[in-house]
Amino acid sequence: MRTESVDVLILGSGGAGLFAAIHAYDMNPRLKILVVTKGLMGKSGCTRMVQGGFNVVLDPADSIERHFSDTLKGGRYINDQELTWALVHDAPATIHELEAGVGCFFDRRPDGTIHQKAFAGQSFDRTVHRGDLTGIEIMERLRDQVLARNIAVLEEHRAVELISDGERVMGALVLDIRHGTFLGITARATLLATGGGPTMYKIAAPSLEKSEDGLALAFRAGVLMRDMEMVQYHPTGLLAGAGRVTGSVLEEGLRGAGGRLYNAQGERYMARYDPERMERATRDVVARAGYMEIMAGRGGPQGGVFIDVSHLGPEFVRKTFPGMVQRVQDIGFDLATGPVEVSPTAHFHMGGVAIDPDGHSSLSGLFVAGEDAGGVHGANRLGGNGVAESTIYGRRVGDAIGREAAALPLNPLPDEKWELRARHHARFWNTASGDNPAHLLTELRMLMWEKCGLVRREKDLLECRTALAALAERVEQISVVGAKAYNLRWADALNLESLIQVSQMVTESAVVRTESRGSHYRDDFPAENDEDWLKNVYLQASDEKPGGMKIFYKDVIFSREVPPQVREAKSHEFSQHMVQR
Amino acid sequence: MTVTVRIARTSGEQVFAVESLAQQTVLDALFYIQNELDPTVSFRCSCRVGMCGSCGMVINGKEGLACRTSLKPLGGDVTLQPLRHVPVIKDLVVDMEGFFSKYRMIEPYLQPRSEIVAPIVAPLDSHIRQEIDLGLECISCGLCLSACDVVGMVPEFLGPAALNRAYNLIADVRDDKTEERLRVVGQSRAGVWQCHTHMSCVEVCPKNIAPTRAIAHLKRTLIRRRVVGPKKRPIPKLQRILQEEI
Repeated sequence: MRTESVDVLILGSGGAGLFAAIHAYDMNPRLKILVVTKGLMGKSGCTRMVQGGFNVVLDPADSIERHFSDTLKGGRYINDQELTWALVHDAPATIHELEAGVGCFFDRRPDGTIHQKAFAGQSFDRTVHRGDLTGIEIMERLRDQVLARNIAVLEEHRAVELISDGERVMGALVLDIRHGTFLGITARATLLATGGGPTMYKIAAPSLEKSEDGLALAFRAGVLMRDMEMVQYHPTGLLAGAGRVTGSVLEEGLRGAGGRLYNAQGERYMARYDPERMERATRDVVARAGYMEIMAGRGGPQGGVFIDVSHLGPEFVRKTFPGMVQRVQDIGFDLATGPVEVSPTAHFHMGGVAIDPDGHSSLSGLFVAGEDAGGVHGANRLGGNGVAESTIYGRRVGDAIGREAAALPLNPLPDEKWELRARHHARFWNTASGDNPAHLLTELRMLMWEKCGLVRREKDLLECRTALAALAERVEQISVVGAKAYNLRWADALNLESLIQVSQMVTESAVVRTESRGSHYRDDFPAENDEDWLKNVYLQASDEKPGGMKIFYKDVIFSREVPPQVREAKSHEFSQHMVQR
Repeated sequence: MTVTVRIARTSGEQVFAVESLAQQTVLDALFYIQNELDPTVSFRCSCRVGMCGSCGMVINGKEGLACRTSLKPLGGDVTLQPLRHVPVIKDLVVDMEGFFSKYRMIEPYLQPRSEIVAPIVAPLDSHIRQEIDLGLECISCGLCLSACDVVGMVPEFLGPAALNRAYNLIADVRDDKTEERLRVVGQSRAGVWQCHTHMSCVEVCPKNIAPTRAIAHLKRTLIRRRVVGPKKRPIPKLQRILQEEI
């Protein structure tokens, strides 16, 4: 098997991966940096798909303290405050660098300064954007900057395993998709920046190749994970029948600009769920309201609700949201003049690897940035804080890697070990006849949507646990045929494996959190319970039971801001609790 | 409606019958084929909403993104071929290095002037802003390169996307490498003079960019320089943003 040694191995080529590569290189150009990406550089993944924009404080009338408070409030106060602070603090410098250094060009106000638009859950209009398809500009330009540097890139290579001894990560086993062969890569520092992507739901927004690989890899390597029950559903996923456009997001700016949501009876239902903020309530609230309407039988022909922006004027809509107008037009409707059917869609994973503000995980040598990390957004992410996280943390963690990588050890692995692990990931050819992974993926998506989705209850979650275990067993029966080179069925099998692993983490964390908070809603515990649950649920592979996990929870540390509901209450002792499963 | 889909695979043409449903695209047909009819068919995609430019192919003789090409209007017969002028990896998957090797030649990254230490002030109606706006949203999908007849005849030709990017950077007041860039785009075999204004690139661009326009601007700039010399470039005003935080 081919093996290679590098100083820095970066898994993922979205905003986090590429910005980290650029910063690590600029910090120490002598480092040998290798970017490994599942698709094409800067094209695969979700930063590319960013529509609305990037939250940043630029206006003197705004303040980073306000951005910080909005983000904590949106996250229902279980964010890691140090991570959130780093986000809001570094945002202005990041926008500055994106424009003056990287070469992006964002939309302007009439006076020529950077325009900032309205998003939900914010006390100030602070979302920087390039039209309504901001991700293209950010990723094209970051990609250009990588081309300007001596940074090696392996496209259509996917990591299938982190090499770990339980204390250190020493690199990764990588599958060369084009040739169907494996490559063992040893690295001083490994950055996990594959970008989450909860595609284990019937309706989901992320790009199609995404499958939560980073989180599955991290868990199997023994890394400490947090907040895994927190999956964001975006309220306005497009419904396009059997087409794969279904689930793609109609951007939040539509609601920011005054878009209205109606059920099939023509009722503006947000008045019943959040009369004050209406459609500009945070995503968790609006998505759940839509789901409740649909479940109560007030959905449209495709089982959705309707977004209507036509009252803003067709000309305004066409000019302000050309990308959204085109996307809707592709499926035969006109966003500028009438309502469009939408549904909540699984969008983003707030949970992920527990990190410090420089991206260090619980294992030495493993750094994490972007959606693979957890804690920045707490129980719900504000629109516009996602691309902010990936680029800001890409920069920060890239700097940390630039400073630290040269001093980290390089531990080459014996060939037999690589070979053994490679055989495991190619085992699907050994089964004569068996399940089609595409069908199992469909089963998984129905299961998670119904049992562990927007509305959860203990009975469903326990059924989900059992069904996931059964699905995991059926993975072993999958049969893949044909040549190994560019084999999409093999890709499906590997994707399924990652998604089941992560679904198990979501389910187990959701069982533990017996309250409702942010995007995690328990029908059987519908209230937010600040008394008991200003806590984070942590999860780690069990070192006693193979395949098992240990789950524990700890109080949130209010290092910078004490939430208003706690200020009055008496101060409580820091506590933690653990269960084994 | 049943659609006959012919795929030009590496191993030869293969024909599939696909039931086409409303709102489905060529990409949906490919997924159906790969999931249900022949798991060994290979194609590439990512975002499925026309933002990433990964699923470019030749659809009934014309370049298009599979994700944004509806099945219905194509009628009962659909022929899918890999993009032209780039090497094929397998079936409909091409090696985009054939595209990026040209793109890299123009040094596609901003190389800012030393004065540019903050975002520039660019009023909506300013020349600066309008020039930058026109060609910005390229998703490097390679459709234009595949559609360009000149690339087929003159392999050194940089092609529409690379020249469009070069023009964006030359028009960008923030960039410091105008002279060098003009030298590259002015080369005889690789440069703008090869373009015969067929406008095939304009016709296939999924983002409605007109590389032909950029190429015409570059030609005019090169001619003006020969005849009357270089234009003086304005130094843009800078926006001050939270200086103390940076």
